[in-house]
Amino acid sequence: MNFIVKDKSFEKFMMMTILGTTGGAMDVEMNFFFTFWGLNLLKRKFKPKVAGMPTPMKGMAAGMFRKRLKKFGIEDPWELIKEAVDDGKMKLYPCQMTMDLMNIKREEMWDFVEDPIGAAGFIEMSDGGQVVSL
Amino acid sequence: MADIILNALGKKCPMPVLMTRKELKKLNTGQVLELIVDDKGALKDVPALLHKTGDELMETKEDGEKVTFMIKKN
Repeated sequence: MNFIVKDKSFEKFMMMTILGTTGGAMDVEMNFFFTFWGLNLLKRKFKPKVAGMPTPMKGMAAGMFRKRLKKFGIEDPWELIKEAVDDGKMKLYPCQMTMDLMNIKREEMWDFVEDPIGAAGFIEMSDGGQVVSL
Repeated sequence: MADIILNALGKKCPMPVLMTRKELKKLNTGQVLELIVDDKGALKDVPALLHKTGDELMETKEDGEKVTFMIKKN
């Protein structure tokens, strides 16, 4: 399955984490193509905020959700993602053009992120398969 | 009976599935994993996982909130 991630919210980040790692565990190839604001999610220092909350509460709500998710067993989403990537079924592809457009550098991202690709690369990868936009 | 017992009580999606897959990888063909969960979502999720991995769900026991799956590695 192929996903386009264009937003940087906590909700989209967790959807990406849960679907990607679960698909990986089920031996389904899970390709994620990050573009525009979604690229921020790949940065090591980025802390996503909750989109569905009023502006002053977005950051605090993310902290609260994180705490509750820990109780559900999700200690660190990036640790789960790294394991799924290492297993070989989950792949994270940044979009080169929007990286340049938004001045986001490869060095700011986790080292297990794949090399950036372009539109043709994503089309080639997903042609004939399922594409979901997050 | 079981070669490995996995206690996933209190864990919610996607953890029971991720933990189950990890433990199944440690087993040899024919060995049995006992998985204990209390996440309602796991009732559907665990069979879906096994359908994909090709491992066998031998038994599902429900005891109140607690569900026990006996899974044979194929």
